[in-house]
Amino acid sequence: MREGLGADPPGLLPRLRAGDPRAFEELVIAYQHRVFGVALRMLGNRAEAEEIAQEVFLRAHRAIADFRGEARLGTWLYAIASRLCLNRLASPDRRLARGDDALMDVPASNPDAAAAAERAELDAALRAAIAELPDDRRLVLVLRDVEGLSYEQIAEALALDPGTVRSRLHRARMQLKEKLERFA
Amino acid sequence: MTCTETRDLFSALADDALTPGERAALDAHLAGCAECRRELAGLLRTVKLVRAMDPVHAPAGFVDRVVAAAQPAPSHRRLGRRLMRPWPTLPLGAAALLLIGGLAVLLFRGSPEQQRAAHDQLEAARAPSSERDVAAPRSVEAPPAAVTAAPRSADLSKNYSEPPKSETMRAKTAAPTTKTDAPSPRARAERAQVTVPNASRDSVSSAREQEAQQRLTPPPAMERRDAKRELADRGQEALAPAVGGRSAAAPSAAERQPPPVGAATPAPAMATAKAQAMPQSAPLSRTGPMTGIPAAPPDVTARLRVAHVSGAERALIELAARVGGRQTGRRIDGGRLVVELAVPRDTYAEFVREAAALGAVSIESQATDRPMLAVAVTVSN
Repeated sequence: MREGLGADPPGLLPRLRAGDPRAFEELVIAYQHRVFGVALRMLGNRAEAEEIAQEVFLRAHRAIADFRGEARLGTWLYAIASRLCLNRLASPDRRLARGDDALMDVPASNPDAAAAAERAELDAALRAAIAELPDDRRLVLVLRDVEGLSYEQIAEALALDPGTVRSRLHRARMQLKEKLERFA
Repeated sequence: MTCTETRDLFSALADDALTPGERAALDAHLAGCAECRRELAGLLRTVKLVRAMDPVHAPAGFVDRVVAAAQPAPSHRRLGRRLMRPWPTLPLGAAALLLIGGLAVLLFRGSPEQQRAAHDQLEAARAPSSERDVAAPRSVEAPPAAVTAAPRSADLSKNYSEPPKSETMRAKTAAPTTKTDAPSPRARAERAQVTVPNASRDSVSSAREQEAQQRLTPPPAMERRDAKRELADRGQEALAPAVGGRSAAAPSAAERQPPPVGAATPAPAMATAKAQAMPQSAPLSRTGPMTGIPAAPPDVTARLRVAHVSGAERALIELAARVGGRQTGRRIDGGRLVVELAVPRDTYAEFVREAAALGAVSIESQATDRPMLAVAVTVSN
């Protein structure tokens, strides 16, 4: 799991609002992995994830003047990323494979292949199980257990009640547990 | 509390998000229910598995691509897009290019004055070398109608002074099919560097112009130097299979931009000057727009912000050598120095640690199992 979402880099927001191009570059450097990570876990395809991640930053770049600063920049970017991913997943012309194929593009956690075949099988089963979750549950699971956001940050990013976050997360985890039962 | 009610709290328990009352009720139930304890253990194991997944990293070069995409298009492009909006862009654009190309051919073939002018230029090209140097840039000028085919060239030529002749000639030699529609030698040189073979071949090429261009190839001594350099670069093929983050077919906006204020010297000339200043002659990059060889992304793309670029470059090269690696190339990308290195995987961590002592480092890496990592470090201040 990634470290929790910390405070924004100091002084970044005013410089972004002033149109400082270096500030935008710093924003992308600071949050590229988080934004790309959400997109990849949600969409399961690196090329599509990069396209969405790029769109997230471009939208932020265009809309920075409208950002009121009540939330953290990171939360705001997660919100844009989440919305774009859900929209993409819901689009009727999305022809990419879902289910077992989704998330298969995510690199294995141990590329050096030191792990045993059992571990590889578990990794594959885990990714497949996550990919099979309903989109809204998968998103909450990814934000909490992969990206390390708190319930409150997830609720803020997704414009949900914290209780809804908690119940979606619970269902997602229980569903995963059922699918991974044979590895217990 | 029932078993169902208890299990509804498991997930929140994993996040330590239960109220004291919930926690007490849960503990009380678990104390007497082995089945729920087993269920809880299973859920906690699942959560642990998910959290143990490695966070993914954005692909190398992602930052550059986003920053380039965020830059506003030049005004003439915005105007062009507005004009094109009601129609599909590609067919209309292709039709416009064909029309312009066709007009250029007709004008060139149909005008006796222009044929005579081309003949005169050839004659001038055959003249002694002192005269040829003067005639060279003129001999590839476009017919008037073809000038409009390259709106970008005006942008490219802006703010640039006349480059050294050797640079112009080298660019022409590297891409002999690129010609005729750029108003300045600098613009021609840059177009030659980023042109994909056959991608922008002009329809007005003729045997006469090709002959004139052959006369513009560097003298034998220069050819020998280039050949030597190429051989040296090929020798490092195995060490750096992937350097240069971009394909020659898709130069970023940063590459198309003029150098920053104060950097009046054209980028290739800067590279040459720096190479001469280095204790060991640094080889030029094998890939990317400089050579026309499609560039694969490096395994590691890093940015190093330092107070003194040249000192940092030297330190990086020394550091790479110290950890068992070596320099594989250097180039100027968007006005910034990119040092290309091959670093052994085994000592990569040490390399990163020591590089961090040179300045502010940010790193993007790709998962790879190659024993020697291709590392491209952009050094700027």
